[in-house]
Amino acid sequence: MQVPTRLDQYIETTKQQSFEKDFHLGWEHYETWEEATVGERAPASHTFTVVAEDIVSYNRACGETDPLYTDPEYALEHSPTGEVLQHPIFATTVGFYSVGSSGIGSWMRTPGARNPGQLIEINEPFREGEVITTTVTTRQKFIQRDKHYLTMFMEFHNQDGVLKGTWDCSLILPANKALIAQFVNA
Amino acid sequence: MTASTSRAPKAAPPVAPCFSEIDTGAELPPVELCCEQQVIDRYAVASLDMNPVHTNEEWAARAQVFGMPETVVHGMMTMSSLASVVTRSWGPVSANGGSVRFVDATFTKPVRVGETVVSTGVVKKKHYHGDGKNWVEVRVESRDTAGDVIGVANVGYNLPD
Repeated sequence: MQVPTRLDQYIETTKQQSFEKDFHLGWEHYETWEEATVGERAPASHTFTVVAEDIVSYNRACGETDPLYTDPEYALEHSPTGEVLQHPIFATTVGFYSVGSSGIGSWMRTPGARNPGQLIEINEPFREGEVITTTVTTRQKFIQRDKHYLTMFMEFHNQDGVLKGTWDCSLILPANKALIAQFVNA
Repeated sequence: MTASTSRAPKAAPPVAPCFSEIDTGAELPPVELCCEQQVIDRYAVASLDMNPVHTNEEWAARAQVFGMPETVVHGMMTMSSLASVVTRSWGPVSANGGSVRFVDATFTKPVRVGETVVSTGVVKKKHYHGDGKNWVEVRVESRDTAGDVIGVANVGYNLPD
């Protein structure tokens, strides 16, 4: 599927340059609702090294214009942490980058998915230079009003084993590959 | 930057109120988000949530994931706007020791391109756990141009004593 080229103008970071933006590519390898096993726990495919540009890009996309959110040099002097302030939903970027395009949690890329709600908990903000490892646990799957809900629990630890935060990530999914194919081929 | 906010840029670090000084029912200033396609596009790139239901109008028209032939705003972008009601007032972390604990959001209606979403928040509950451990729960809701609720959230925030 063609990803609109107009999106290129918003690329600001090294991770955004290399990230596969076509979520239809390799969809056959995404874990499905039917395949997911509740209780399965595994590390996500990629670690996430926190760079200021990742945080600034997310902040700007959330409409932040205050230099405390957008200017690392200004933040060095004026921010309570000495780093740019970090929007609390920045964990979204960490999650999407870390979870791969196959295996546990890859269903978060599924065409046709719908978002019913999310819970993000923050123990402490990510810090520049930290290497974040995401551990994914398939937590729950159920059917309600003919909708297939799947939830994974993502734990974000830094290189010292400190739990920085968690994300209870839920989606309503097409249940199997045949149903996903209907969306992919729409 | 294309996402609009209700605040002008400021230079001072954010300061949160003290737990002892804030009352339930206290209102936080609203946050406004204009959901133009370019705002959604920027969010897609920054968040790495590149699901085409948000960015590819032709595919979205054919697939109709939400029963309508158009792209929609990311739920996570709505969640960000909900959280911003608290962080624009008190900061994700504050100069006096405050910080966001959690954001628990539910999405109730897809948000169409072109909508203006306004989010408002009220301090709902104070949780007293002793010095240095107190926090409040802020109830936030977002409404679209028609006035329909499109998302709600409880935001937990650690406050200085």
